[in-house]
Amino acid sequence: MDSVLRAAAMYLALMVLFKIAGRRSLAELTTFDFVLLMIIGEATQQALLGDDFSLTNSLMVIVTLIAIDVGLSLLKQRSRWVSQLIDGGPTIIVENGRILQGRMRHVRLVEADIMEAARSSQGIETLEQIKFAIIERNGKISVIPKESS
Amino acid sequence: MSQDSEPDDLHNRMFPVREDMAYQLKVWRFERVGWYVLVLLVVLTLLGLFSRGPLSSRDLHSSDGRLGVEYELFHRNGSTNPMLLRLKGQPNALLEVELGGDWLEGFDVQALQPQPTRSASAGQGLKFWVQADAQGEASLYLSLLSEGLGTYHSRIAVPGGAAVSFDQFIFP
Repeated sequence: MDSVLRAAAMYLALMVLFKIAGRRSLAELTTFDFVLLMIIGEATQQALLGDDFSLTNSLMVIVTLIAIDVGLSLLKQRSRWVSQLIDGGPTIIVENGRILQGRMRHVRLVEADIMEAARSSQGIETLEQIKFAIIERNGKISVIPKESS
Repeated sequence: MSQDSEPDDLHNRMFPVREDMAYQLKVWRFERVGWYVLVLLVVLTLLGLFSRGPLSSRDLHSSDGRLGVEYELFHRNGSTNPMLLRLKGQPNALLEVELGGDWLEGFDVQALQPQPTRSASAGQGLKFWVQADAQGEASLYLSLLSEGLGTYHSRIAVPGGAAVSFDQFIFP
């Protein structure tokens, strides 16, 4: 019984924690983010398994995690509300070469982050060449360039 | 960061993506409040809300001073914490102490030092006899492994009326 409860509690807690961290936090993995992610994994592992290292226990934990994950994606498919609650929606941060400062403050981004995404995905050099920059639901920045006239 | 740019920032765009800024604002507020909660939790943990810290470490004495106990108010399931009993009585006498209450259901006594001269069961709890030194003092060190969940009550008593009662809480 407690392997299911442990897995469910951990799933919920991690979900809330990563919602608090925001969608950007682990979307663009730096080396340090990667290390941080591994440490979080290590810390979680102990609480998930407890002191029971049996095959059954670890399988039940994995089964529970996957069951919750699939269950949530089914729910997301059925209800727009749940989908928005869990995944959020995309947000525009650059519109016709103009940075929307109020939004930038909320998502904790600076111009350099947008330009980095613009360079790597579109080969864009200046802000003026950007038609739209959008933070996607998974935290990645998509850049749509202006059509060259 | 001029304030007057805000209303424009916050209205919904329909192209190239449909936005719901009212909801997005709630998400951002949740992130901000959540961050304060995380900081608060870190501070509380440092203070000992989840065992070991000023909020958790307690020192109790019976009114006549014959019995003292140092313990942790908060425990975490699976962790080991010490408990110290101090007894005072006649020099070189055999001192009796009774550990009652339902705490044995939540804790596993991993170690007990020094080995008591004699021990016995007493209702729900245990009774120990320890040898006092030349000053009439004896200490008993217990190492407790938290196994249960929730609140457990302890009542430690010595014959003659001196007693202390306290609760301990075990976090999951």
